[in-house]
Amino acid sequence: MKNVLVAGGGIGGTIVANRIAQKLGEEISRGEVTVSVFDRSEHHYYQPGFLLVSMGVMEPKETSLPEREVLDRRVKLYTGDKGTITKINVGDRQLITADGVIHRYDVLVLATGSHIQMDEVPGFSQGAETFFSLDGARKMLRAVQSFTGGDIVVDVALLPHKCPVAPLEITLMLDDYFRKKGIRDKVNIHYCYPIQGVFGIPNVNKMMLGLFESRGINIHSQFTLASVDAANKKIVSKEGEELRYDMLVAIPPHKGAQVIADSGLGDRRNWVPTDKYTLRLKDHDDVYVMGDTTDIPISKAGSTADYESYTVSHNVAVDIKGDGSKKTYPGSVFCYIATGMDQATYIKFDYNNPPTPPTPSQIHWWGKLAYNKLYWSIHARTLI
Amino acid sequence: MSSLKVYKSIDATSSSCSGPIGELSGAMNDALPSECVEIIVGDPATRDDVRVWAAKTGNRVVVDKEEQGKFRIIVEKVK
Repeated sequence: MKNVLVAGGGIGGTIVANRIAQKLGEEISRGEVTVSVFDRSEHHYYQPGFLLVSMGVMEPKETSLPEREVLDRRVKLYTGDKGTITKINVGDRQLITADGVIHRYDVLVLATGSHIQMDEVPGFSQGAETFFSLDGARKMLRAVQSFTGGDIVVDVALLPHKCPVAPLEITLMLDDYFRKKGIRDKVNIHYCYPIQGVFGIPNVNKMMLGLFESRGINIHSQFTLASVDAANKKIVSKEGEELRYDMLVAIPPHKGAQVIADSGLGDRRNWVPTDKYTLRLKDHDDVYVMGDTTDIPISKAGSTADYESYTVSHNVAVDIKGDGSKKTYPGSVFCYIATGMDQATYIKFDYNNPPTPPTPSQIHWWGKLAYNKLYWSIHARTLI
Repeated sequence: MSSLKVYKSIDATSSSCSGPIGELSGAMNDALPSECVEIIVGDPATRDDVRVWAAKTGNRVVVDKEEQGKFRIIVEKVK
C-alpha cells in the first residue's frame, strides 16, 4: 500500500487531491494506494470570494462548503485534531497529527497556504477593516454601507501577500461604489503601497496608474507601513509620512503555516523553498509544494494553485506508478481584476510571457462573477 | 564575499505580481541587520531599480555582477 498525503484542504490541496484520485483511480480501487487530505477545518473556503463579500456582491454562504462535499469520494479526509498537522518529518516521511497519530507517506504534497498576520503591525487589529477573512469581510461590508464621507485609506503592509491584485480591486470598487451612490465627492480614497507604483508588473502598473489618476485616487508610494494609531485614526510609514483616515482597509502581512516553521521547512516567513519548475521541495524528491505555500516569486492566488495542480498531480501519479515522464510548471497564472462594481480586466502570464491586460469591460466583470460561481461545480471538483 | 551572510536568494527573472522590488523588500523586511538578500534579475533597468531602492531605503549593494546575461545583486541590510 502506498500513501499519498496532502497537507491542507484549501483550494490547492483540494484540487490536487481530486486530480490525483482521478489519475490513480484504478490503483485506489485495487487497494494499492490511498490519497488523504489533512486540514483542521471541516469547511472549504473560497477565499477569493471574500473581496466580493466585503462589497456586497457575494453572500457569505456562497464562499464555503463542507470539504467532504467537494472532495472526490475516493479521497480520505481528516479534520479536527485528526487533521491538524503538528509536525512534518521529511527525513522519516511522516506527518504527525494533533491526536498523536503518525502518518507515513510515499509522496507528500504541501498545500498549507498563507495566513494573515494582523498583529504584526501595531494597531492594525484595532483600527482597520480587512476582507482577507470572512468575518472581516462581513464587518467591512457594514462599514462600507454606512460610510457617508471622509478619507478611506487602503494600505498594503508587506509583499508578497495572498491575492496580489485584490488591493487594486478593492480600491477601484470602492471608488465606483461611492460614485454610484452619488457621494464620491465626499470621499477621498488613498492607496498606500510599499514599493514605487501600485503593482509589481510594469505594464499592469502602468494601466492601473492611469485608472487611478482618472478616478482621482491618491497614491502614496513608497509607503512602508510602520504603525497604526487606532485611537487617533492615523497611520505612519517608515518613510515618515502620516495619513489620517476615517476608514482603513488593511492588506495585512502574510506568513506560511506555523507547522512549516515547527517542522523547520521554511524561511522566516514560513515560505517553503520550492523548485519553480518541478514544484518539489528543494533537495527532496518525494515532497511537492504548491499554491501560497511555496517561496516561488510568482503570485499567491487560487489560479496559481489550480495550474500547479496539473503538474503536481501528474508527477505524483508517475511517482506512484513508477512509470512515465514528468511535467514541469510553466509559471501559469490567471487573475481577473475588478476595476469597478460592473467592470473588470484580467492578467494571464507565465514565467516567460508577461501579462497584457485588456481594456476593462463589463464582459470581464461577468467572467469574474462566473468564475466565482463555477468554482464549486467546475474547478474544485476538477471537471476541467 | 565569503563572509556575507545571505539570508535568502530570489530568482526574479520571471514575471511576478509583487515584482522584483516587492519580493526584495519583503525578504529584506525579514532579514536581520548585516544579513544580505541576493536577487537575480533579467535586465539592466531592473538592476537599476534595485540599486535605487537600496539607496532609498538606506541599505547597501555589496555585489552587483552581470553573469550570463543576468544580473546578480546582493543587498546588505544596514538597519
